[in-house]
Amino acid sequence: MERFIADLVKSFESGKIDRRQFCETVALATTVFAAGGAAQAAPARGMKMLGVNHISYACSDYRVARDWYAKVLNAKIHNDKGMGRANLALGGPEPGKGGAFIITRNFGANEKPAQAVVDHICYTVSNWDDTRVNNALKAAGANPTGRKGSVNVYDPNGYQVQIASIEGENPFK
Amino acid sequence: MFGFAATKLNEFEQGKISRRQLIETLTVAATAAGATGTASAAQSQVGVTVAGINHVSYTCPNFKQAADWYSKVFNLDQVGLKDNEVTLPFGKKGEQPYNVTAKDVPLTFIICRTRDLNAPAANGQPRPKATNVVNHMAYTVADFDAERVKAELTALGVQNIRGAGPNALHMNDAFGYDVEINGLANNALTDGA
Repeated sequence: MERFIADLVKSFESGKIDRRQFCETVALATTVFAAGGAAQAAPARGMKMLGVNHISYACSDYRVARDWYAKVLNAKIHNDKGMGRANLALGGPEPGKGGAFIITRNFGANEKPAQAVVDHICYTVSNWDDTRVNNALKAAGANPTGRKGSVNVYDPNGYQVQIASIEGENPFK
Repeated sequence: MFGFAATKLNEFEQGKISRRQLIETLTVAATAAGATGTASAAQSQVGVTVAGINHVSYTCPNFKQAADWYSKVFNLDQVGLKDNEVTLPFGKKGEQPYNVTAKDVPLTFIICRTRDLNAPAANGQPRPKATNVVNHMAYTVADFDAERVKAELTALGVQNIRGAGPNALHMNDAFGYDVEINGLANNALTDGA
């Protein structure tokens, strides 16, 4: 609520909303908060994030990455028409119900470097067992290193892939 | 084991794996099956099945500036502030990831960082130079409506918003990184279909 109000004040100060809008919004937020719906009050602006939709992974040969992620993460291949890209559905919720996927694709002609980089992605494994996970990754041809509850491997393009349990990686630890 | 071997053989016949890979994979699987006494155990031991995305590690020149952008646009809190990074969970503490019932799957989060990507890994090992790039990240938002979302993003001052069909919008974040947002209708079955 505090951040919501702070953003509202900032909007008011910058002239994006007028006094009436400011007051109405605060009143509405207060009512919703009092009714126990604080979480619903927050996204008066911006959006409610549900999760990652997909990871767009560009490389020189999408098939090599496709096969690696299919093998190591047991991802299911969809929409591979031999046109330089494929979707890999990850475990978890089904497609259309919040399930995430990786798109492996060949480099495009308009790849523009940004000042930022997504330097690795970490995936959660449920029912974690260190020995089982390490052995499963080795059996798939990967070379895991890491600590209890978290391991790292490198894919065929040298990209870091982390795999972790909730104890190994969670946002509130 | 039969089904697993058939799958691998298909992959070999289709040129997806080499002969050597076929042999190695079946050898490892067969060995594991022999050790445990069950063929199904062998299948479960090749690769892991992920339950979701744990986190996205995002490195940029000014992590706080990036975090503020993601907080503003996606209504994300910031937790665990350190000297060079901060964590943005996709929800509140105690909440479950969307449509996930397993209790040992944490909320997905972004870690915004500022760090030297050429520095050795935590275990001291040199990092290989990646030859790929994650050229954009896409996030699912609730009640996606392209026109409404576009208007909201414009009001928030988001740069370079461009459409990509009824279920997707692209934009630039604070450091020019390509961010896509989608509704649930954009998924592994529909994207690129």
